[in-house]
Amino acid sequence: MKPDPRATILSRRRFLTLSGQGALLAGGLALSAGAWLPRWALAEPDLASRLLRMGRDIYPHEAIADRYYLEPLQPLLEEQREMIDAGLAALDRRARATHGRDYVAIEDERERVALLREIEDGEFFQSVRNTLVVGLYDNPELWEPHFGYEGSSWEKGGYLNRGFNDLVIDWL
Amino acid sequence: MSGKFSHDDDSVVVIVGSGAGGGTLAHALAKRGINSVVLEAGKRYRMEDIENDEWEMFKKISWLDERITAGPRQLTETFPNLPAWIVKGVGGSTIHWAGVALRFQPHEFRLHSEAGDIAGANLLDWPISYEELEPYYVQAERHMGVTGESTGMPYHQWNNNFKVLAEGAKRVGYQKLRAGPMAINTQAYDDRPQCMQAGFCMQGCRFGAKWSTMYTDIPRAEASGHCEVRPNAMALQIEHDANGRATGVVYADGEGNLQRQKARVVCVAGNSIESPRLLLNSHSSLFPDGLANSSGQVGRNYMTHATACVFGVMPKPVHMHRGTTFAGIISDEARLDRSRGFVGGYTLEVMSLGVPFFAKFMDPSNGGWGRDITSALDKYDHLSGVWICGEDLPMEDNGITLHDTRKDQYGLPVPIVYKGDHPNDEVLRRHGQAQATKCYEAVGAERTFLVPDFPTSHNVGTNRMSARAADGVVNKWGQTHDIDNLFVSDGSQFTTSGAENPTLTIVALALRQAEHIAERMQRREL
Ligand SMILES: Cc1cc2nc3c(=O)[nH]c(=O)nc-3n(C[C@H](O)[C@H](O)[C@H](O)COP(=O)(O)OP(=O)(O)OC[C@H]3O[C@@H](n4cnc5c(N)ncnc54)[C@H](O)[C@@H]3O)c2cc1C
Ligand code: SF4
Repeated sequence: MKPDPRATILSRRRFLTLSGQGALLAGGLALSAGAWLPRWALAEPDLASRLLRMGRDIYPHEAIADRYYLEPLQPLLEEQREMIDAGLAALDRRARATHGRDYVAIEDERERVALLREIEDGEFFQSVRNTLVVGLYDNPELWEPHFGYEGSSWEKGGYLNRGFNDLVIDWL
Repeated sequence: MSGKFSHDDDSVVVIVGSGAGGGTLAHALAKRGINSVVLEAGKRYRMEDIENDEWEMFKKISWLDERITAGPRQLTETFPNLPAWIVKGVGGSTIHWAGVALRFQPHEFRLHSEAGDIAGANLLDWPISYEELEPYYVQAERHMGVTGESTGMPYHQWNNNFKVLAEGAKRVGYQKLRAGPMAINTQAYDDRPQCMQAGFCMQGCRFGAKWSTMYTDIPRAEASGHCEVRPNAMALQIEHDANGRATGVVYADGEGNLQRQKARVVCVAGNSIESPRLLLNSHSSLFPDGLANSSGQVGRNYMTHATACVFGVMPKPVHMHRGTTFAGIISDEARLDRSRGFVGGYTLEVMSLGVPFFAKFMDPSNGGWGRDITSALDKYDHLSGVWICGEDLPMEDNGITLHDTRKDQYGLPVPIVYKGDHPNDEVLRRHGQAQATKCYEAVGAERTFLVPDFPTSHNVGTNRMSARAADGVVNKWGQTHDIDNLFVSDGSQFTTSGAENPTLTIVALALRQAEHIAERMQRREL
């Protein structure tokens, strides 16, 4: 039973109006309660909120729900758990050395991003990033509602009669 | 019904690879009643296997055997094991090619004469002229169903993506704007339907509107009874006799067993990494440096086109994913005009990517993350994109070599694909990026950004044509200078890259080669 994607993520338009009101989240994220989180995230909420913070700093989309960041990380956790734990621990050590607190507790996004920039060439960072670049953007549930990308079209007869050339350039 | 030729039948032409070069050649030979066996490393796919899904198709059909990316270029860092984007399957890269079917310009066959020596470039004229190839361009256009004069099919209607680019281009002063020529039907043609503007040309055309040997040349050659295609057959070595004549090809079949197919003629069409690799791997005591390599040019002069992409974020939704991926071509900069600070020209071609590939390719470097990236992705439906296809000068050290110790699943040395830019390539690329950016600014883009090279789609030059045996690997017929009955039938024959996509020229050369082979066989010269 899959939830309706439109119910769990804000529509883009709605988000655009919200973001003007300062909807950007800062610092530690409270996991959205019961919102279809993967089982591993419910079992290890601390791990999940650290990875979620990191995922959202790497590919920030305020309108995309937590589970879309967390679900794709499961195989990585299964295969490379030690590397992930060590990477997160090292990130926290760095955070404590410069900011006196754990990475997730740093409120300023720019400061968190600066920390991640320092480790972006490392295996830990790139494996999380490479997992998300596919896991997040190859998810058909997000395509149309969030990005306006309509996905597979051949079964609908393509766009020949559905707007492949409907653009009128009226903004010039 | 496919012909069944025995392994000992030494009257057949053995063709390695079933893509643009190999598939076309097999069909053209079959039409002349010449029997061939096509060895294809990849599987056979059905139309139902073609999905509108970028990653699924990438995983399904790409050549993913180990390769090593090398050289001073970003791909070495970003795609260390995927230097090129090539299909492994019956139909080869014509399954995922985008259908742009441009002829080379006359002067591009004699760039060396036109431009003179250029330091650092291993520049050479083609041993054939545009005029010699022209009739075969016409044949190729009819054969593939290319929109325009040869077939009478109209060009495509401009899709949204091209409307945006073209409007900007007009404002920049460009005039040569066309939604073709494309090897994509705009009407039913050649028993194939018209394009449904589905997008996903680079994942394979589910409708068969775009030419591909997968569903044209290959099944037709097989139906003639003159061709047998063996999928899952990886050619490992070309054998020869004591006189240095090719006698057959050793290959691994789908079960991993070694087989030997005897041959009267061998034609190599495995695309520009595998073709030279096969020649190099076929070294023997008679040919210690590899087959057909007396010039030392096998594997050298690897060209990829000087490319880059530019995207613009427009004020309103464009929906670039709707409709053909590449049908929109600007040729104003394709001319030779050294006042721009570089030799050779480039074509600007509209292009689109879906969200999955756009996210991956927008900036694959380690630092390609953060709000810069996601703010563009959030505007995905407002994007328009263009690809720069520019002349890439041949350099002797750019090429394919074999790794000393690393072996692939067949036990063959892994290829190292080395490529660096000639300074000319860099100037050309920057010019193209600046012009494309101007186009998008002129049409009101809110933001423009550069997207780097992807794994190479246009691979040419590694067995180049030359008039003299000392300068290249094959003569003007694609016949190797060293071995009479050994031919090269794919893009690796290219002497220079031109400013145009290669496939139409590959097909024209293959049609011409088929005619030549047939005549020579008839005269018992082969
Ligand atoms: C995304 C994309 C878009 C493109 N769009 C265009 C375009 O719009 N216009 C254009 O002109 N070009 C385009 N191209 C390029 C075009 O696809 C190639 O130039 C063309 O297909 C090359 O033809 P080929 O015969 O050299 O090789 P291919 O078509 O790649 O065929 C080679 C075949 O040989 C097989 N093979 C290799 N080695 C062996 C071996 N040892 N034994 C057995 N089989 C072997 C391979 O599996 C493959 O099937 C595009 C390419 C890509 C990746
Ligand atoms: S846009 Fe046309 S040619 Fe391209 S895949 Fe769709 S139907 Fe085929």
